[in-house]
Amino acid sequence: MELEAVIGIEIHVEMKTKTKMFSSSSNVFGADTNTKVSPLDMAFPGTLPVVNKQAVINAIRVCSALHMDIDHELWFDRKNYFYSDLPKGYQITQQRRPIGSNGYVEILCDNSMKKIHIERLHMEEDTCKQIHYADCTLLDYNRAGTPLLEIVSLPEIHNGEEAMKYVDAIRRIVVYSNVSDGKMEEGSLRCDVNISLKEKGQDKLGTKVEIKNLNSLANVEKAINFEIKRQSELIMNNLPVEQETRRFDETHKETVLMRKKTDAVDYKYFTEPNIPPIKLSDEFINDAIKSCPELADVKYERYVKAGLSSQEAYQLLQDKDLSSYYDSCLQYNPKLAKQIWNFLVVDISSYLNKRGETFALFTLKAENIVKLLSIIDKGDISYAQGRKVFEKMCEKELDPNIIVESLNLKQNSNTEEIKAMCLEVIANNNQSVIDYKAGKDRAMSYLVGQVMKTSKGKANPQIVAKLVKEILDSK
Amino acid sequence: MYLDKTIVELHNLLVKKEVTPYELAQEAIENAKNDSNNAFETICEQEALDFAKTLIEPEKDNLFWGIPYVAKDNYSTKGILTTGSSDILKDYVPVFDATVIKKLKEKKAVLIGKTTLDELAMGGSGTTSHKGKTYNPYDKTHTYIIGGSSCGSAASLASGIVPFALGSDTGDSVRKPASYAGLVGFKPTWGRISRYGLFPFAPSLDHVAYFTRSVEDAAIALEILQGHDELDMTSSLKEQCNYFKDLNKDIKGMKIAYIKEIVESVKDKVIIEQFEKTLNILKELGAEVNQVSMDKKLLTAIFGTYYVISCAEATSNNANLDGIKFGLREGNEKTYQEVMFKARTKGFGEFIKRRFIIGSYSLFKENQEELFLRAQKARRKIVNEINKILQNYDLIYLPALGSVRNPFESNVDKLEPNYLIAENHLAIANFAGLPSLTLPIGIDKDFPFGANFLGRAFEEQKVFNVAYALESKLEFKNITAKKVNG
Repeated sequence: MELEAVIGIEIHVEMKTKTKMFSSSSNVFGADTNTKVSPLDMAFPGTLPVVNKQAVINAIRVCSALHMDIDHELWFDRKNYFYSDLPKGYQITQQRRPIGSNGYVEILCDNSMKKIHIERLHMEEDTCKQIHYADCTLLDYNRAGTPLLEIVSLPEIHNGEEAMKYVDAIRRIVVYSNVSDGKMEEGSLRCDVNISLKEKGQDKLGTKVEIKNLNSLANVEKAINFEIKRQSELIMNNLPVEQETRRFDETHKETVLMRKKTDAVDYKYFTEPNIPPIKLSDEFINDAIKSCPELADVKYERYVKAGLSSQEAYQLLQDKDLSSYYDSCLQYNPKLAKQIWNFLVVDISSYLNKRGETFALFTLKAENIVKLLSIIDKGDISYAQGRKVFEKMCEKELDPNIIVESLNLKQNSNTEEIKAMCLEVIANNNQSVIDYKAGKDRAMSYLVGQVMKTSKGKANPQIVAKLVKEILDSK
Repeated sequence: MYLDKTIVELHNLLVKKEVTPYELAQEAIENAKNDSNNAFETICEQEALDFAKTLIEPEKDNLFWGIPYVAKDNYSTKGILTTGSSDILKDYVPVFDATVIKKLKEKKAVLIGKTTLDELAMGGSGTTSHKGKTYNPYDKTHTYIIGGSSCGSAASLASGIVPFALGSDTGDSVRKPASYAGLVGFKPTWGRISRYGLFPFAPSLDHVAYFTRSVEDAAIALEILQGHDELDMTSSLKEQCNYFKDLNKDIKGMKIAYIKEIVESVKDKVIIEQFEKTLNILKELGAEVNQVSMDKKLLTAIFGTYYVISCAEATSNNANLDGIKFGLREGNEKTYQEVMFKARTKGFGEFIKRRFIIGSYSLFKENQEELFLRAQKARRKIVNEINKILQNYDLIYLPALGSVRNPFESNVDKLEPNYLIAENHLAIANFAGLPSLTLPIGIDKDFPFGANFLGRAFEEQKVFNVAYALESKLEFKNITAKKVNG
């Protein structure tokens, strides 16, 4: 019997709006506990929800990136249940009419693009955070009311790799549209995976198992592959797959039981009476989409057009801060696309790595980096000298021209002057001329070295090499 | 003795400096302390006197300047205990003011106290407060209800403690006690006044509403309470109106309908007789008065429709009172379920627990279609019928209730069709969110009773005008229990 996994993924994205989904308290990660709380977040009697406009704009942008149908009327519902982390005793969500429906995202699998369809995207609010101790549980209401997007895929994913790529594609969209930090490790992007196995070619699905708490892309892949193996073994041994929720144990690289699923909870949904239906005009929707920051796939196209290889472009997009720094550089001189890529990805990255820093906090002006690269490109200084200038700039940011000047680094590219030096050196080194003519290449390098020495290292080495060769060949 | 006067009368005295806000506050507090009807949860003596003391120079154009008032204890008042007349909130001191409390403060009205209500505004009898029954000042024997849920506010006005009281109206919670207590009870169009800070019972039906003892005062109050509020998305952006300035007794040509089936459901001859007399007055004033008809089945469905929708919303709205943030906590609970179970079992009264269960039941997946959604459909049908009538008429005019008085202990069959219609039709205004005003039209054996005007959405002015015209032809403007019964 050949088995096939059927996987659907629910992703919760915390939006980084200024304020919360329905209240005016500020929405920041990492503030002191219970300092970003308004009466609504704690469900004080009489408080009323006010929909965050930016959250709606964000939702529209993500819907558009996922090719979804966008509802022109916003409706919210209440999902009723009692839990200690749920201040109001209900969550405001969009059960009946999600803002987005019928979309898809494309992922690259086995060298071809595969569409994963997305059933729905809706807005809702987060619960408060519980911190469990041995003898008590503490509640942090800072998180209560954080705007969330929930994105639900159709069960069209079949293995860990596809799942990882799907989550990564969604992550890139929410990160590049500036909707979210998309940090799985901090919980600003969380995914729940539903997975069941079926016999290949058959329609009947096996029991569905849910995996929660996947805090990295790698873990999504590992957890699913483990779970496929686990369920396959159960089925092959004629053992039942239980309906349950599991989590991924990072240390042991396996999924472990969290709880058995009993009958589904009845959430007693009904329309939120405190939010009237909100009409979204075509103009509002189009503006939201038009003003969306450039998405990763658009950037990719642009980079390839600018002259980067597919691999290079992809590498930039892995780090949004790097890519946005790259964009700032590029606008000063698009002709240097390759050179900038090289300097950022190789030199600056290694400089930052050594210091444990990232591009997020890199403060040198893009303009100055491009100036430096132009100086190198013109041949005024060598690449190695360029690196030195960069290090000086990091100590104190000055125009690289000034640093080049003050270090007295500028190369001599004056052909006449260099030619005079070459002639002199060659005249004084007859043996080397004879060696060169005899086919000894080292003689040529020696002569170039001597010219460089005469110029105190400032002659442009490419010009020196070219002229030495010309003179020797003409003899 | 000043406080049995209307706001307009008091304002004139304040402007002439014949009395000061401080003296009025003192008198109101004295009155409140001597209250014998169990109308108060809290008397804000210190806060009221401190505030009144700051009011020195009269504001000629501000009719609420220095006017003492009370608020139903389901309005959030910053720093002042707000219980909803429920044990679950018996120690709750809010950190913010409801928008209407804030507006009244800005107009320098002086809050004297917080009044009793049926627990969390659920009830129509004024008997289910955690403080027990609230009595009708017209009834020294304490035999008859004042009606609820805004019982304490109604009692405060009927006994002349203050000239203005905030109530709230989800089914008829202001307009019903207004009838039993001889008051003007008014609720505007849904959205005309912000609900921010009003404890929610059933938001799709909830209205900020209030009592006055004259139509003029009701118009003044809406002028200052109306308007969009950024904290309430359901509050309307419609232009604000000068209801008081535009009051006009000329109602010539106004088209008024009364609904045959509702009038016929009222079996009390005194009410019908007086109601018919007022119909004639309206005609004499130049209004065109006609009888219209409505499907009796729909009318008998009002109560069930109301009950299902309001209980369903209520069970969700009060889910925040879970013992985690609000309510009693003994401290040795092992699980969060235990915390919630204990707090809610102890904190809520029997009657509202019953409502929560009914509400919850009607929202269950397997029942929702048959109960909750069916009630929504019935609501829609009733609203459509009423709006159809209001396409041809400016107003609908009806007896407010089926009886002049209603004893605490009663064996009446509440599901009998006539009772169902006569005692519940005021909820139509909540279903449709339409402006509705009850005013006294008669007194029978020392008990006042009222009739009700229902207007088109945002046409509060017409409601005020016709009530103003009728009031001027009757002798029940600014009555109190003392004035009527001595």
